[in-house]
Amino acid sequence: MRTLYLALKYLAVTLWSGFVIFPFLWMLTTSFKTANGVTGGATWLPWLQYQPSLGGWQSLFGGAGGVNIVRPYLNSLVVTLSGSAIALILGTLAAYGLSRFSFRAGPIRNGDITFFFISQRIMPPIVLAIPFFLMLRWLGLLDSLPGLILIYVALLMPIAVWVMVDFFNTIPRGLDEMAWMDGCPPVTTFLRVILPNVMPGLVVAGMFCLIFGWNDFFFAFTLTFTKTQLLPVSIVALNSSVTPWWALSAAAIVSVAPLAVLAFVVERFLSRGGLAGAVR
Amino acid sequence: MNTTTALKRALYASVAFGLATGMATAEDYSQYGIKADVPGMCSFEAIDAKDYTGRTLNIITHAIPVIGEPTALHARQFQELTGATVNVVHVPFGDLFQRIMIPFQTGQAAYDVLFYGSLWLGDFNPYLAEVPAAYQEVAGMKEVTETYRGIAGWQGQMLQYTMDGDRHYLKYRSDVFSNPEMQALFREKTGRELTVPATWEDYNEVASVFTNMDWDDDGAPNFGTAEVTKRDDLMFSAFISRVAPYAKHPDVKGGFFFDLETMTPLVNTPGWVHGLELFVAAQAAMPPGGTSFGLGDEIFSFGGGQTLMSYSWDDAFIQAMQEDSPIRNKVAAALLPGAKEVWNRKTGQWDTFDEPNRVAYVTWGWTSAVAKDSANQDMAFDYLCFFANEANTLADLQIGRFGINPYRDTHFDPAFYEMEMGWDAAVAETYTATLKGIDTAPNQVFDLRVPGVGEFMSSLAAGVARAQSGEQSPQEALDGVAAEWTAIVDRIGADRVREAYANVVALEDR
Amino acid sequence: MPTSWRWKTAERIRPEGQTRPSARPSMPETAMYRQKYIFLLPGLLVLVAVILFPLIFTIRVSFSSWDVYNPGLNNAGGAMYARLWDDSRYWEALWRLSLLSLSTVLIQYVLGFALALLVWRDIAARRFLRVLFLVPMMTTPVVMSVIWRMIFHESLGPLNPILEALGIGAQPWLSQATHAFAAVMIVEIWQWTPFMFLLLLAGLLSLPSEPFLAARVDGAGPVRTFMSVTFPMMGAISVGAILIRAIEASKIMETVYVLTSGGPGTATETVSYYIYIRGMRDFQIGYAAALSLTYLVIMAVALTLIAKALIRLMVREARA
Repeated sequence: MRTLYLALKYLAVTLWSGFVIFPFLWMLTTSFKTANGVTGGATWLPWLQYQPSLGGWQSLFGGAGGVNIVRPYLNSLVVTLSGSAIALILGTLAAYGLSRFSFRAGPIRNGDITFFFISQRIMPPIVLAIPFFLMLRWLGLLDSLPGLILIYVALLMPIAVWVMVDFFNTIPRGLDEMAWMDGCPPVTTFLRVILPNVMPGLVVAGMFCLIFGWNDFFFAFTLTFTKTQLLPVSIVALNSSVTPWWALSAAAIVSVAPLAVLAFVVERFLSRGGLAGAVR
Repeated sequence: MNTTTALKRALYASVAFGLATGMATAEDYSQYGIKADVPGMCSFEAIDAKDYTGRTLNIITHAIPVIGEPTALHARQFQELTGATVNVVHVPFGDLFQRIMIPFQTGQAAYDVLFYGSLWLGDFNPYLAEVPAAYQEVAGMKEVTETYRGIAGWQGQMLQYTMDGDRHYLKYRSDVFSNPEMQALFREKTGRELTVPATWEDYNEVASVFTNMDWDDDGAPNFGTAEVTKRDDLMFSAFISRVAPYAKHPDVKGGFFFDLETMTPLVNTPGWVHGLELFVAAQAAMPPGGTSFGLGDEIFSFGGGQTLMSYSWDDAFIQAMQEDSPIRNKVAAALLPGAKEVWNRKTGQWDTFDEPNRVAYVTWGWTSAVAKDSANQDMAFDYLCFFANEANTLADLQIGRFGINPYRDTHFDPAFYEMEMGWDAAVAETYTATLKGIDTAPNQVFDLRVPGVGEFMSSLAAGVARAQSGEQSPQEALDGVAAEWTAIVDRIGADRVREAYANVVALEDR
Repeated sequence: MPTSWRWKTAERIRPEGQTRPSARPSMPETAMYRQKYIFLLPGLLVLVAVILFPLIFTIRVSFSSWDVYNPGLNNAGGAMYARLWDDSRYWEALWRLSLLSLSTVLIQYVLGFALALLVWRDIAARRFLRVLFLVPMMTTPVVMSVIWRMIFHESLGPLNPILEALGIGAQPWLSQATHAFAAVMIVEIWQWTPFMFLLLLAGLLSLPSEPFLAARVDGAGPVRTFMSVTFPMMGAISVGAILIRAIEASKIMETVYVLTSGGPGTATETVSYYIYIRGMRDFQIGYAAALSLTYLVIMAVALTLIAKALIRLMVREARA
């Protein structure tokens, strides 16, 4: 019984790992192919099944038949990091407010305000494209990093609020009140007393912001022209009628790298039980 | 091969050689990948003499490599030669229209130079700058064939700068068609000789005989036909290729998509329905997944040697003729199949033809233009003129993935493909003869270049897809499309659509 | 992680004060409370500033007939809404989307929960597996769908040869309606199960150990322990994760576009993809706005109802 259970357990883990790894392995091998390697059917092993080439990888850094992703990569880092940071700060403040104080405006109460934050994510991006476009045009921020950051703040903040409200709710109110009794003003209380207790929440919220920001394609695409190109846009520039699969695969691998590092960071928090507070 | 071609070939080689050595004494531009600079207003030398330092040119173009890669390549060259800053953005085909249209409609001068599908002229024309007379007079533009000059025009103005020529034609595996074993097999199964399909009925029959068998002895099964069948991925073009000979009667003028007089949609007339029935029937001879092939799949399927026949743009043919291709010189080109029974919408009956009615479908075609709002029109036209100068075009034609295809009289010379690209004479002959035949065909069809073409075509594609999947019968599906088209015409206004469509009909009926 | 969704709806279901005492301000108004706006307003104002205009603009546009040939804001009254009412393609797409998003989210939840349980405790290479299971979420969906299209490719892709080798046989992944639907689901499941996995694993890791000890003392087997201890304690977090995923899943568009273009026929056409076709490809801005607003309202109502149902189903048990 016990052996059977263990066998099933490891079988399940192995199957899922295979499913997860499969596309990555395929991207890896495809990134070394040429047109003949692709049209020759599904092959996996270089030299044995197809003649490998570094063309796909070279094209990412200015070689022929591809797009140089160095600048877009840096742009993406700037926009994602600053957009996420601002969204996280504003979202955390708002979440703390919503968690600790009651707000009323007519029939609107805390729950409705929280719902307003979250509801921003229901809107299909297609419909926001033109209004955002017009708005950034009035602000003179089309095709610029600040313009994209502004939009990303609005798109990512709901996620930060969603996660952080719940984290703050897990912190006993007594903590705030004790600090206030000691004459500590709310802002200082928030910074010195409460914030250190929700570090795991900040990690989770930050991770979601970074993931959604880094991988956004639609707004990076519609709100820029030629100067400010982000990574997903420059990778999608390879999705031509005759797709250079090799370059596309290489680019996809490169683009996931920074977030894979993030996965390790998050896992450390998980293992140390750092996310425990998240779910009480 | 005749003597004139041989002679031309010799001449070609010596001229090319002479040009190469001649230019070596002047400035040498061969580092740019061209054979020799061709003197003129837009030559490397002339552009080199200009100074655009401190100015910026913004270009939107297709994804890499098709059209996108030559755009970027010539942008880099232009930047080096003139000192201008040139920014290029690459956009997948599916999003190109909206990426250009949003700035246009909101009055934002986002791009100076645009590369896009020529069929969108009906929507873009209010926002484009006319090509200045000087550029219309350059030698390279004078050599553009009448068909492709026609496409560039709108209400008597030249709004698009021609830099590519596109059309649909038939591609087939000549090694299989000339193989006695295969010929015998075909005779046995059908009772007739194996010939290059002259009608779409023939095409379907040949495809069904040679499908799901290993006729190239490589151990993997081969299939009859690869076609663009994925709904929103240019499938409408494939469909129109199949429909045109049944629905475009050579003696009936005044519209293929609509009756120009009444603006009634013709998409559900018997010729169209029959074409769709054959399109649906052909699915049986497609490779696995062939019923949802996008253009890229079609290119890799035929170009990679999986299928016997295919029809669409040049790409699949060029892919098959790449230097490292396993089926190089085993392919040939021909005009699209025709129809022996053609619907005559004037008399309301089918007319029978002894010689199949062939219709050349001049579809899509990458083109370029300069935005009216651009503050850099001078530089923009210089860039386009440079992009399409003779030296660059000859170099681009040789790189298959660039997607630049013949559009000048000089491009229809088989000697060029033999000498420069090492094609077999027979392949080069069928290729150039086919392209030339399309260019001079008496019965041509052009895309529906009217405002809202995207909506018309996506409605058409959705209807065709419903018939393909069996959700509806061909007649039902096309009746539905006709109803939608009527609604669209009503929304836009019949007169506006007619005014625009008259431009297209004028090209067809000239 | 109990979510704001739960919080909001819980508030409505139960009399005030009973739900989450800790969440309700219990202290009397003091000077401190007057500073509360410092926290809420910056974020709220930025969001309102960025979102309000598009929202109002979209409402205005939906009463115009802005399209590719008549750009600009004219007054078309409710014409777009009348058209929408008769647009069977839209309603079919809505139904299809409901089916697609609910079933994928449910599968993601079950798989995510199972995976979280698997790597929760004693298993070799636990930490490596956790990282591995997270990675699909880190990929760019629009790029991955292009890769997936190649994987599913019935002539050139690697999937069918493997299925043949396993004796399952080649499948018409993108050319048959049910298979195409399944292909879209597989991509979604691959990409977003990690999201569920992360939230549920975090939940498991934070569970107190006492109830498990008690269960062991009672002699409960793993199944009974799960049913009576683990699952009830995970109710709140489950509802949150499911709802957020449902919101995101309902926007599915790129995957559909790249994999199938909504085909074969209309078998995989979802609402977002249909709105994309109308709005961006056909450039019918006015009509797309009407479609989107209708969709927004339907989604808001549906998600609220789903949230209520889920809370009744899963959270009350937790408190019992």
